[in-house]
Amino acid sequence: MKTSFTTEAQRHRGFMKKLFSVSLCLCGGFLFFLFTNTAYARDELHLYNWNNYISDDTVARFEQSCRCKLVQDYYSDNEEMLAKLAAGASGYDLIVPTGNAVESLIKSKQLRPINKQLLPNLRNIDPAYLNTAFDPGNRYSVPYAYTITLIGYNAQKMRELDLPTDTWAVIFEPKYLKKLKGRVTVLDSQRELMAAALKYLGYSANDTDEAHWRRARDLIIRAKPYWAAFNASSYIKELTIGNIWLAHGYSNDMFQAQLDAKNAGRPFTIAYATPKEGAVLALDSMVLHQTGPRPDLAHRFINFMLEGKNSAELTNLIGSGNPNRDAMHHIDLAIAANKAVFPTPEIQTRLEMLKDLDRNQRRVLSRIWTEIKVR
Amino acid sequence: MNRERITRWLVSGPPFVFMVVFFVLPALIMVVASFRFPGEHGGLAPMFENGTWQFTLETYQFFFSDFIYTEIFLKSFLIAGLTTVICIAMAYPVALLITRVPKRFRDVMILLVVLPFASNFLIRVYAWMIILGPQSAFSIAINSVVTAFGFEPVTLLFSPFAVIVGMVYVHLPFMVLPLYTNLEKHDPILLDAAQDLGANAWKRFWKVTWPLSLPGVYAGSALVFIPVLGMFAVPDILGGTGDILIGNLIKEQFLGTRDWPFGSMLSIMLTLAVLAIAALAMRFSRKSLSYA
Repeated sequence: MKTSFTTEAQRHRGFMKKLFSVSLCLCGGFLFFLFTNTAYARDELHLYNWNNYISDDTVARFEQSCRCKLVQDYYSDNEEMLAKLAAGASGYDLIVPTGNAVESLIKSKQLRPINKQLLPNLRNIDPAYLNTAFDPGNRYSVPYAYTITLIGYNAQKMRELDLPTDTWAVIFEPKYLKKLKGRVTVLDSQRELMAAALKYLGYSANDTDEAHWRRARDLIIRAKPYWAAFNASSYIKELTIGNIWLAHGYSNDMFQAQLDAKNAGRPFTIAYATPKEGAVLALDSMVLHQTGPRPDLAHRFINFMLEGKNSAELTNLIGSGNPNRDAMHHIDLAIAANKAVFPTPEIQTRLEMLKDLDRNQRRVLSRIWTEIKVR
Repeated sequence: MNRERITRWLVSGPPFVFMVVFFVLPALIMVVASFRFPGEHGGLAPMFENGTWQFTLETYQFFFSDFIYTEIFLKSFLIAGLTTVICIAMAYPVALLITRVPKRFRDVMILLVVLPFASNFLIRVYAWMIILGPQSAFSIAINSVVTAFGFEPVTLLFSPFAVIVGMVYVHLPFMVLPLYTNLEKHDPILLDAAQDLGANAWKRFWKVTWPLSLPGVYAGSALVFIPVLGMFAVPDILGGTGDILIGNLIKEQFLGTRDWPFGSMLSIMLTLAVLAIAALAMRFSRKSLSYA
């Protein structure tokens, strides 16, 4: 067996050969990737969207109808999206921010006006959700879906403990909270938690009077010892497995928790309701970013999403509120009848969209928030 | 001579340029940002507006006007210090053990120490949510003991305890590795000599091993203390209603509040604190090296 006596040099040469062929393959693969990618690049629509905020079926149908590719990038809150754009992210054709973030994007001149002539389906939108304070006349934004910030709860536990489920009092009043110690989470969001406290105290969610903010702060600090955590991400799971019995959160998250608990065959059900004092309504709208290279495709997408069937698909998937009148025929009956998703006209008058704060107000609120966290 | 200089620049140039571009420049940008006004919609206000330069000390005044921010700094130092001490106490026996086992086990054990890095950090922290949750076997076991002694049952998740557990868990390998590299170099003959001279096991450790291992302890402490000081994910996920650290405060300035100058200023404070500690640690470790 002569071959087994290879010299060091031979072995080295063999290794070099292998290395060469491997790197050749890698280069080839890279070039292939590059080519296939540029082949796609001709018709791509870049959507910067919330996590899980469009149904896969809808995406597939849109891609088929426009013969293009929908490329999504995701964010999990408005602040994250604004921070990324402020740091110079570009190339997004479409974004789906909440009202106050739309306002901020309009004022910092980051948006492209929409061309309503390309959007015949705009007439499907309920006028109650048009002409909003953050974008009068809808020059830049088209409503997509909304959520309500409300309370979700373990229905059995709340009944056992004889607690009310239609008021913010259950989140803020020690006489109720003492039965729920360590079983409550509230949103880890300055604006949302302050809005809930302000609403409970009878002020507007957009109140900027510092004295009112301080009253809200005191209310929160008094209730804080009974809460388990400020939580914006895992309360769905905690509700579903029964660790948490009451959570302040978004309606579509509560929808998810309800569904998860049901599918897991839990011995309890998750329910949710809008407190009678009123709450925050977050209307998410489609907007065109200045840096997006394909406003043509973006308009096509907006018009496509304004079709009732496509819009309804999102509501059926995540239980989001729907501002599209034409969508109502396509929405599951159970969701359509849910008062926490589609509020009664009476509750509707007490819902408020958050307005953006100016820099000084933000700094004052941040200080109050830090006090809340530390005390 | 000239060629030597060229080689030296070729070797040290790229990392030097890298440090200047990616550390010194960003740090300077941060310093400048801390003296600017926040933009109306996030970001920064223009530096030059209405014919004047727009710089201010307001942000610094804001920081010192209220003890609350200093309080968060102190608390973060406390948590970082506690985490470091616990890490030393837990990592030292492990590192010692690794040096004392036969060579073939040694590599396996080191692999086991490094293995957690193979899965994502956030997933490992989320796993602690399950372990510490009220329905976990761990919680139930602890609470059965606690209630047997007549105390109220404790909640482990969403507490300062959970934050420390998470911090220690994440940073433990960073303590084990430098300790191991140090302990491995110790000459066993020193311990034999100490024994011959009549030192018992405790004395041999305290008078020989421990002083010799101090550089490893300092290196490990720096690798644990500094990241813990800036950590925001662990308190976010495992912490309760009062567990806010500097990291969370800084994150809040760039996201929730969109107050870049204040965020920059807090980051500078943190960097300065870390540099001061690093300088102190270096001084100590030099001193102990000269002892060795």
